[in-house]
Amino acid sequence: MSAKSDDWGELMAAAQAGHGGAYRRLLGELRGWLERFYGRRLPPAMVDDAVQDTLIAIHEKRHTYDSARPFRPWLAAIARYKWIDRLRAMARTSSEELSDDIAVGDHESAVTSAVLLKQLLSRLKPAQAEAIRLVKIEGCSVEEASARTGQSGSLIKVNIHRGLARLAVMIQKQTDAE
Amino acid sequence: MPNDLLIDELVGDLRPVRPHNPVRQVAWLAVLAALELGGFAALGTVRPDLASALDGAAFWWKVGGLASLAAIGVATALRSFDPVSSPRKNFRWWIGVAAVLLAAGWLIDLGNASPLGLAERLQWRMGLQCLFTMTLLSLPPILALAIMMRRGAPTDRSASALATGAASAAWGAFIFAFHCPSDDPFYIAVWYSLGCGLVILLSRTILPSVARW
Repeated sequence: MSAKSDDWGELMAAAQAGHGGAYRRLLGELRGWLERFYGRRLPPAMVDDAVQDTLIAIHEKRHTYDSARPFRPWLAAIARYKWIDRLRAMARTSSEELSDDIAVGDHESAVTSAVLLKQLLSRLKPAQAEAIRLVKIEGCSVEEASARTGQSGSLIKVNIHRGLARLAVMIQKQTDAE
Repeated sequence: MPNDLLIDELVGDLRPVRPHNPVRQVAWLAVLAALELGGFAALGTVRPDLASALDGAAFWWKVGGLASLAAIGVATALRSFDPVSSPRKNFRWWIGVAAVLLAAGWLIDLGNASPLGLAERLQWRMGLQCLFTMTLLSLPPILALAIMMRRGAPTDRSASALATGAASAAWGAFIFAFHCPSDDPFYIAVWYSLGCGLVILLSRTILPSVARW
């Protein structure tokens, strides 16, 4: 366990007692950690929302941190929970048209920055991984993805939905095994 | 909203909180169990032949088994409200103990050699009443655990809901066991399993969305 994580535990204990200064410092440092965490796991356009969502969750659930235990596993569990939540939300909206702000301009940097997401996609069926990569990461429309892969539009939607649901299960099982 | 603004808002909203304490939760649940058992008994519901039932192995199998399942279920559920814990492994323990108890009931039943047929032993009219009362008795623990689940931070809500349902079902059945006049292992295995299944299904259906965070 790093010294920084121990510091974070102390800062959170102070925050639980109502110390605003400690809390501000903690949230500022956690923001950076969360940006890196989600930067490796989500398309760039989704990172900010995920960071904010997690900061709010940390705030609402701060009483569940036990200062006798290390801080990092607690933080990682919440961040991973919100990550799974994002994947499930992506699966639920797979059949909807994407808004412009979801589409990513620089496709290459989008794909290479979400390294872990890319690794996880390689564990899915190729058709599912391709559909998710094109629509959810590169920002293609379902029709464009259909034209590029030869899958029908409906199949693209089904593959996105099933693939993301499977990813969420894989991450959840990985958590259980740990 | 920019992250800096959000942090300002969260810091502005900061109030002291009392850290989560599992011992306090267990104490609250113990008080609730005592109140529910006492209240149920005060209604004059305790079986009149309780003294003679205490001599039978089947009664102890029933009460002891349900108490064990309730205790394991409550421990599993409470632990799962901590974001770092997953209840799936412990929930498999609950299922394992339930299976062992059913096997033990079958062995007790072999020794009893009832002259009645299986259909008669089911006593379905009484069984349906059992099912209804057992489910009602499971409501206080399921509500208490649901409040704790919502206040906690379960990261596997489906499994937490299963554990909560299992704990509440066994709890309700345990209290009901002091009223239930039957010590027939076959009757208990069928109706109590159905009752537990119903409560677990209810919990699994409702609680994941109630405890979303």
